[in-house]
Amino acid sequence: MFKDPDFLKKVKNQKVLILLSIPFVIYVLIFCYVPLFGWIMAFQKYKPKTGILHSEFVGLSNFKFLFTNANGMFINVIRNTVAMGLINLVLGTIFAIGFAILLSEFRFTTGKKVIQTISYLPHFLSMVIVTGIVYDVLRMENGMLNNFLTSIGAIDSNINWLAEPKYFWWICGFANLWKETGWNSIIYLAAITSINPDLYEAASIDGAGRLSRIWHITLPGLKPTIIILLIMNVGNVLNAGFEIQYMLGNGLVQEVSQTIDIYVLKYGIGKGNYSLGTAAGIFKSVVSIILIWASNFAAKRMGEESLY
Amino acid sequence: MKNYKKVITFSMAALLVMGMVSCGGDSGSGDSDSGSGGSNAASSTESAGGATGEIKEFTAFHAVPGTEIDSDNEVQQIIAEKIGAKCKDTWLVGQTAAEAMGVRIAGGDYTDFVTAGAALPQMVDAGTAVAIDEYWDDYPNIKNFYTEAQWNAIKGEWDHVYLMPQFGKRYMYDTGTIHNDEAFWIQTRVLKDQDYPKLETLDEYFDCIEKFIEKHPTMEDGTPNIGYSILCEDWRYFCLENAPFFLDGYPNDGCCIVDETTHKAIDYNTTPTAKKYFKKLNEEYKKGIIDPETFTMNYDTYISKLSTGRVCGMCDQHWDFNDGELAIKQEALNKAELKGCTYVPQGIVIEKGIKERYHSDAALDVSNGITITTSCKDIPGAMKFINDLLDPEIHTLRNWGVKDVDYLVGEDGLFYRTQEMRDNAAQESYRNHHLCPYGYFPLYGGMALDGINACNPDNQPKEFYDSLSEEVKECLAAYNAETYTQLLNPSGENAPWYPMWSYSNNLTSDTDNGLAWANMAEVKHAQLPKVCMADDFDKAWDEYMNVYNSTADVQCFLDSLNVEIQRRIDVAEGKK
Repeated sequence: MFKDPDFLKKVKNQKVLILLSIPFVIYVLIFCYVPLFGWIMAFQKYKPKTGILHSEFVGLSNFKFLFTNANGMFINVIRNTVAMGLINLVLGTIFAIGFAILLSEFRFTTGKKVIQTISYLPHFLSMVIVTGIVYDVLRMENGMLNNFLTSIGAIDSNINWLAEPKYFWWICGFANLWKETGWNSIIYLAAITSINPDLYEAASIDGAGRLSRIWHITLPGLKPTIIILLIMNVGNVLNAGFEIQYMLGNGLVQEVSQTIDIYVLKYGIGKGNYSLGTAAGIFKSVVSIILIWASNFAAKRMGEESLY
Repeated sequence: MKNYKKVITFSMAALLVMGMVSCGGDSGSGDSDSGSGGSNAASSTESAGGATGEIKEFTAFHAVPGTEIDSDNEVQQIIAEKIGAKCKDTWLVGQTAAEAMGVRIAGGDYTDFVTAGAALPQMVDAGTAVAIDEYWDDYPNIKNFYTEAQWNAIKGEWDHVYLMPQFGKRYMYDTGTIHNDEAFWIQTRVLKDQDYPKLETLDEYFDCIEKFIEKHPTMEDGTPNIGYSILCEDWRYFCLENAPFFLDGYPNDGCCIVDETTHKAIDYNTTPTAKKYFKKLNEEYKKGIIDPETFTMNYDTYISKLSTGRVCGMCDQHWDFNDGELAIKQEALNKAELKGCTYVPQGIVIEKGIKERYHSDAALDVSNGITITTSCKDIPGAMKFINDLLDPEIHTLRNWGVKDVDYLVGEDGLFYRTQEMRDNAAQESYRNHHLCPYGYFPLYGGMALDGINACNPDNQPKEFYDSLSEEVKECLAAYNAETYTQLLNPSGENAPWYPMWSYSNNLTSDTDNGLAWANMAEVKHAQLPKVCMADDFDKAWDEYMNVYNSTADVQCFLDSLNVEIQRRIDVAEGKK
């Protein structure tokens, strides 16, 4: 960087931009990098009284404990987190793109705006409210879904949706979908509007129908946006959520509902073993970094846009 | 149009000015508050009663569920004017106690007062609990609240007293009217329908409910009756899991059975009684007597179902479902059908001949109490607040309300209430707006300090009996009882190690026995509902036992209990 002969000149030219970015750099330093010192706790037997500076170091025993306690419960927890994260990622991306394309093809402007507004409203609801709604819809007694399925004759007796481990991941996935599809589609809608309209015109003169215009113009036009968002979201896979699993979960589905965050809360904070909680948190961060790096690398290899 | 605008402009400006003035006034008085804090504290004894409008405001967090009262609560204001201080109580919402406290301990940021529950040792460990014995010489109501021996027990292994248990104090004697603890509860209408049978065993209990459901499948409005409901959300799953030791005739040690001759801890999860109990639940579940969605219910759903009066019975602690029963009582004022829907306790055992021990004398629970935190800026003021709340006059205000509004005084000095007063007290909105019990600050049980009345209306024998609905009176009479406790065996003397849950509640997962205890709970949470719902009970039970024994080091946990039992016996015998 410093070998660049024009470095100082560049700095001078971009003075304002650099100044503008300083607050954000400070923000990131304070809230993202400084707390990393707390990672030391994971290698200690941390006690609040002695603090980070004076707690006893125990090496990797907290990590070892994570993977050996209770027949490898933590491995189960990782599986759940990854599975629900992937469901969120795949469904979230596909539905958001599909929804954005449908909306952009919608010709009636007022209707389009109304639909867009309604569809992104759930994003502003707190997860607590969303789980409340999901819980009521899925209930056995007077639950909307059971009532509906009974009325069309699809089922004979009510299904206890929340008691069956096999449904749980999908319930979380679709709840997230309901909440976020509208919101996530905004960025794709913006990308679609930036596609050159001449392309569509030219294509329709060449005889392309609606579907082939979507297939040959809209989707390729969206590709860079999709890839960048995918890379960023892959890093979020392990943030598969906490609230919804925490509030909808119960003993019966515990084996599939516990995510890393819940585990940290239960065994780390709830049982006063902060070091264990930190160790689980570090594990999560490291895996996330690897995932981001891998997907970025893959994107570069395929000659696509990449994050860095 | 122009005029209209002017009017708006002026009124906005006026509002703004008013707002600024009132804000200024507020902050001014706030300043003088903190300024006079020191002097107030120094002259703590004389300022009781002589408040000059400077009211200190404290904050408290109690790691138990509760209802926040209105900010303009009337009795709270009366008390504040008398003692010069008030406290905003906040309660546990949506989290478990351990999680809520864990977050606070990790952050080091507390309210002035905390009811930390099982997390207190961690707080003390972190150095954030105030040693109240360093301050209590000026506050006799606090210092004399417990005997020296009791304070020593509270101190335990620590060098100082860091907490003040709220509920362990009996003044004079206990009137023993209500059973606030665990039992198999059943609605009076169910008993009435079967001509008040004597229920002793689990089979008889479920039999009674089955017959009722057969005869009355629905409520009057057509919603189906629910035979039996089990709450198993998070820590409240004791409603499902801890019945086996009661069924075997042992008192509520919470985490184990303690053999009275060998003084050894026994795991109640694997006893033959446990298997029989879960087998029974499994049968009843298949018969549809148990609510099919019971295992996925959260606490709110459980209480709201109970509030409709549809649930015939359950095994629970009375304090845990009290909100639901209060709602039934309130609704019953307008809906006659609900009058028979309140609950009475039954001392159910597994086989005839076992003596049930559901009712125990309140033991001083040395692990639970109120703590002043290091976040409190005015520790003497906080001490004075607790001290003043134990003043006889204030204590009556907290527990009975305002004289002539909430209760009347008879010629013999006995307090009583009119039906209207009782109905008021049954209304949640009235309670929140008017009554302020400061229920998680230390209070006397048993009798009130005047020696004539009981500590609160529920414990006043005559008032208690008069306030019962006709249905409950009839039910009690059928069993030759006048109080709820008389439906159960009288409490025996508490063993020196009782209650063992005050030990297990304090375990953390960074010790081997604490980890075993956490893992046991983890397995039971997942497996017990499966066992109850299984098509093939025996297979499910075997699998549960397999997972249970391979996941948790139960023996390690029991060994640590044995050590603790012996330690407590030694303490009681003065060997320590």
